[in-house]
Amino acid sequence: MNAYASTFRMRWKMETQYRGAAFGGLFCQLFFGLFLIALYRALYAGKPQSMPVSAIVTYVWLQQAFFRMLLSDDEDLLSKIQTGSIAYDLCRPLNLYGYYYMRSMAQKALGSIMRSVPMILVAVLLPGGWGLAAPASVPALLCALAAVFLGLLCVCAMTNITMGLTMRTLDSRGVRAMLNLLMMTFSGNILPLTLFPDSWQRVITLLPYAQLLDAPIRLYTGEWALSQAPSVLITQMIWTLLLTFLGLIIWKQNQKRIIVQGG
Amino acid sequence: MSYIEVHDLCKRFTVRKKREKGQFLREKTIVEALKNVSFSIDQGELVGYIGPNGAGKSTTVKILSGILTPDGGEASIGGIVPWKERKKHVKRIGVVFGQRSQLWWDVPIIDSYNLLRDIYRVPENDYQKRLRELTDALDLGNILRTPLRLLSLGQKMRAELCGSLLHRPELLFLDEPTIGLDAVSKLSLRDFLKEENQKNGTTILLTTHDMEDIAALCPRVLVLGHGKKLFDGALPDLLSRYDTQRVVNVRYNGDCFLPRLPKGCSVTKEGDSYKIIYAPEQLQTPQLLSILQSAGEIRELTAQPQNVDHMIAAMYKEMDL
Repeated sequence: MNAYASTFRMRWKMETQYRGAAFGGLFCQLFFGLFLIALYRALYAGKPQSMPVSAIVTYVWLQQAFFRMLLSDDEDLLSKIQTGSIAYDLCRPLNLYGYYYMRSMAQKALGSIMRSVPMILVAVLLPGGWGLAAPASVPALLCALAAVFLGLLCVCAMTNITMGLTMRTLDSRGVRAMLNLLMMTFSGNILPLTLFPDSWQRVITLLPYAQLLDAPIRLYTGEWALSQAPSVLITQMIWTLLLTFLGLIIWKQNQKRIIVQGG
Repeated sequence: MSYIEVHDLCKRFTVRKKREKGQFLREKTIVEALKNVSFSIDQGELVGYIGPNGAGKSTTVKILSGILTPDGGEASIGGIVPWKERKKHVKRIGVVFGQRSQLWWDVPIIDSYNLLRDIYRVPENDYQKRLRELTDALDLGNILRTPLRLLSLGQKMRAELCGSLLHRPELLFLDEPTIGLDAVSKLSLRDFLKEENQKNGTTILLTTHDMEDIAALCPRVLVLGHGKKLFDGALPDLLSRYDTQRVVNVRYNGDCFLPRLPKGCSVTKEGDSYKIIYAPEQLQTPQLLSILQSAGEIRELTAQPQNVDHMIAAMYKEMDL
């Protein structure tokens, strides 16, 4: 098998060892989902908003279901950097960028699937006004799935950038906290992007963070019509390419000035 | 030209220190990890690479395995400069870092091996054959399906070694492979390395603090201290320079009358036996024996083996390391 595909499979296999964590995460995200929906319902009860509450509810469920895809760091690689075990990865006949890209892709993909499938099942079964609505149409669902995949590629490229920078700073908690705050805010995880002022939305929906979950969710709910789908997908692709390119440059430079800690 | 050629290799690290009170800028010191180190190694050699902590041994290994780029000097291994053609170079080498792990923590070790097979593109037939060979030699048969985290230190080290050899590297770097191992594990690991070197002609550079490893395995040693090469040659030649004292214990039946021994020798009574420390330059062993024999009826006589660690410590001290 191809080395990169094999790396993906290995990280996937490793992730299946953490079924307990996935189960815990599932409950956590279910709790957050219900909590947020209760909050939005209360807000909406007071004053009618421009956006129907059912659309927000669906947004919240999808956002919670794919929570695991977010966060731009790879715990595994962080501990390797700290212990110096990364030395082994550095002497493999592989492109390291590709190697770590596949690792985080497997981790994020399986982590998301293990949590989102049961969560969506639960969310569909909830009573009206609380549950996940059906997609706008079958083509909309297909576009949303394509967009999730592009979002995954985009977030892996972001992870590799964060990790590339991490290698330069040793203790990267500061950088990571900043980058993750940006990600959580502008991906719509804290507050659905649909609730931001319209003038803001024009800008933030173009940021790379919006490509991760916001774009696929809007395609799913029909907030964005099918006719808009091509431009959404193209925006995602452009960001993916740009971020991958930037990451590759950072990693290439890193390789020249690498220091391995201790012994 | 030899298989490994190293000329004037230099590597510097910048170490930043925490600011002191009132100091505005952080102090930076440059540590010269390697200062113009040169050596050459032929294919099929098994060379010990020793020196105190911080001497620059691991730095050398990391440069030669393509991880670090040196600040000066040249190196080529089989005609390839490691840091310039990294991917091409690392395909044919194996590395074991004794204090780190290359196998995946949470999955059975066989899965890690399968991944290594794909990374090094080992053909399936070759791989199965080699895996069988290594699992037999390293006694891994019944732990192949065990996750790494459940293995003992000795098992882990054997598993790591297997992982580094699956692609039949022509050159193997071992960085403290026997660290923390018990006597049995150490001995079997040594046997294995010796065989790997002799049967497959694998060139091995062994870094260790365990002098027994070196004595048992390496016909040739390189000594490094403060980033400089201090010695290159056979271990006995190195040791003969620091072979300053020897120890004999002797017990007698009944009384004995030990005469005064020449200067530089000492006698201490420990229970009913005498411990004699002598310098071979002052008193030769046959002479000492005849003195001891004429002193009384010997019941038991034991000579302590030369303690390599003491000699190395004496050497490091003399070299001001």
